[in-house]
Amino acid sequence: MTGRQASPSVAGAEDPIVFVIDDDSSVREALSNLFRSVGLRVEAFGSAHEFLQLKLPNVPSCLILDIRLPRVSGLDFQAELAKADIHIPVIFMTGHGDIPMTVRAMKAGAVDFLTKPFRDQDMLDAVTAAIERDRNSRDEAKVLSNLHELFATLTPRERQVMALVTTGLMNKQIAAEIGLAEITVKIHRGHIMRKMGAKSLPDLVRMAELLGIGPASGQPQT
Amino acid sequence: MIRKPTIKSWRSAEQWLLGSMALALGTVAGIWLLLDPVPMAVPHFAALVLLIASLAASLIMIGLAGRTRRQMEAMLQGQVGAEARAIETLRSSEAQWKEVFEHNPVMYFMVDAKGTVLSVNTFGAAQLGYSVSELLGKSVLKVFPAEEQLAARSNVGVCLENIGQTHSWEICKVRKDGSSLWVRENAKAVRRLDNQLIVLIACEDITERKEAENALRQSEMYLAEAQRLSRTGSFGWRVASGEIIWSEETFRMFGYDKAPSIKHATVFQRVHPDDRARVEQTIDRASRDGKDFAHGYRLLMPDGSVKHVHATAHAVTDASGEMEFVGAVTDITARKRAEMKLHEAQATLAHVTRVTALGELAASIAHEVNQPLAAVVTNAAACRRWLDRDPPDLKEARGTLESIIKDGTRAGEVIQRVRALVSKAPDQKAPLNINDVINEVISLVQHELLNHRISLRLELSPALPLAIADRVQLQQVILNLVINGIEAMQPVMDRPRELMIRTCQDEARQIMVTVKDCGVGLATENADRLFDAFFTTKSGGMGMGLSICRSIVDAHGGRLSASGNAGPGATFHFTLPLDQEGAP
Repeated sequence: MTGRQASPSVAGAEDPIVFVIDDDSSVREALSNLFRSVGLRVEAFGSAHEFLQLKLPNVPSCLILDIRLPRVSGLDFQAELAKADIHIPVIFMTGHGDIPMTVRAMKAGAVDFLTKPFRDQDMLDAVTAAIERDRNSRDEAKVLSNLHELFATLTPRERQVMALVTTGLMNKQIAAEIGLAEITVKIHRGHIMRKMGAKSLPDLVRMAELLGIGPASGQPQT
Repeated sequence: MIRKPTIKSWRSAEQWLLGSMALALGTVAGIWLLLDPVPMAVPHFAALVLLIASLAASLIMIGLAGRTRRQMEAMLQGQVGAEARAIETLRSSEAQWKEVFEHNPVMYFMVDAKGTVLSVNTFGAAQLGYSVSELLGKSVLKVFPAEEQLAARSNVGVCLENIGQTHSWEICKVRKDGSSLWVRENAKAVRRLDNQLIVLIACEDITERKEAENALRQSEMYLAEAQRLSRTGSFGWRVASGEIIWSEETFRMFGYDKAPSIKHATVFQRVHPDDRARVEQTIDRASRDGKDFAHGYRLLMPDGSVKHVHATAHAVTDASGEMEFVGAVTDITARKRAEMKLHEAQATLAHVTRVTALGELAASIAHEVNQPLAAVVTNAAACRRWLDRDPPDLKEARGTLESIIKDGTRAGEVIQRVRALVSKAPDQKAPLNINDVINEVISLVQHELLNHRISLRLELSPALPLAIADRVQLQQVILNLVINGIEAMQPVMDRPRELMIRTCQDEARQIMVTVKDCGVGLATENADRLFDAFFTTKSGGMGMGLSICRSIVDAHGGRLSASGNAGPGATFHFTLPLDQEGAP
């Protein structure tokens, strides 16, 4: 009754997945049916516990959660996921959503809050938005991790120079700041641009921002 | 006595005459013999002989005549004696009769047509406290109380109209001292030799009998009145003859005119058609077994009204060894009506609390309807999308429709369950599985349990016999116990909240339902009042829930009880008998 419902085999392994947790099998089945009808992969669970048994695949996904779950409420479960560093966009469903609950859910980062029975389009829109959000955050995470990798290839002196360059200092100023010849700074700068794959100074500045590099530390603040 | 001296003197004179003639004849003969001792001349002799002969003959004649006369006299004298004796006898008889008349313990009155007392015997006068002279010449009405005088007058009148005929009646008289006595009078009017019409009356004192009769009548009246007041009639039933004897009240109860005895058919004519078979069965069994019996049934009166009666009968054997039942039948219509009213009031109250309980569960119930409804809407949308595909996926669409039907039915069932609980349906006892009833209730409170983080443990014995019960009423009991359990566990924070519902058969093979919580438990000082109406420990409670639960279970012939757990919390049990014969 609370078993996982397999997604259609036609969907590829990289396709997004919608996870559903609801203790009511009818609702679970209906949601699975709806998502399948629009070609989405679905996995449904009867309880939060069952969901947690799963090793989440690394694909864009979202979680549809009934706010009243047996044993643990949807809101508490949302907090639990955050604590466990599982960042999955959550769409809440409720029989009768009250405002405090909605506010709490949205503050905790819920994508949407739908009241049963909901319009199919509302649900699909919410799911699309959630998956998009997940995909973006996954992309961002990917970009960031690439940047970290590139940043890791820089020498400590290069990192120091990069931090100063991205604050908008001239080569001459940087040379004076760290006691190097202007020409040396220029060479470092060239290496940095090449190693980081930056096309321009603004590009490098954006990367520094993403890495959280400040002039004081010269270290990424992640 | 009459004296007759003449006869006696006549007789002595005759004797004297006869004696003197014989003496004279002897003297003549002596003288002749003395004077002429020689035979005399023949003519003289012949003349003498003739003289003597004639003398003798006359003497004989005189003697004969005297005898005849004496005989005649004797005869005459005898005749006179008999007459005297007769008169004597008559006199003594009259005296005797006079004695009888005067002292016979019967009161004799002789009155004239106007009612004036012509004669009364001493006993009669004495019985009334008068002397004879005090009554003679007075109106006989004097001895009647005012209220009886008219009757007395008319009784005498009747006699006078039917001369020679004897009439009798019972009447009350009044004594000189004012006390009364009852008499039975036999009276007859006769015409005296002097052509005067008189009425002879003989009265016999029946005061004692009358008093006994009155006492009996009074006692009967008291009994009848008591029967009427208590609406209880009595009856006797001789089994062999089938004869039934009813008291006045029984006749009134059954709406029949009084009759000396009646037959069974008459009784059955009034017994409500729906009860006839049962009554007949009871009567048949009683007549077979000869054992005491009691039964209740309804009467359908000719005006269409219905009476409820209860009859109890005791078996006795009469003097002749015949079996007889003596019993009482009570009209319990008023009691039944009161019971029905009470029952109605209880049902109304039960309904109110049921609706209140459902009100508390509104959120839970809404959820129970909303879930399948959400599923239906979602499935319908999915179905449309399957059909909108190119080509349409009919297999999926069909499968989705199946789900829609299933979920729609489910929503309908929830609504039906709620509607049944909200409805004010009369008792509908039918065989049911108690586990089904519990599952139906659980479906309504599932969400409530979830909301309160209560885990439910069901231990429903699968092999339970069916109970004859009213589904809605039992749902109410279970619902109430479950809600109580949920509320009792609300303050519990330090342990898992668990509600257990168990069904089983107890040692008496009765169905037993147990609802156990681990909540605040029962305060010992409240245990006794737990089932009292308006007793509550909850701030928002009416205090009706458990009281109604108990009356519902009682009405099913079961028993609802509560006990504290060895650990935290309380346990409520109720039993249901397998067959409902014990249920009132």
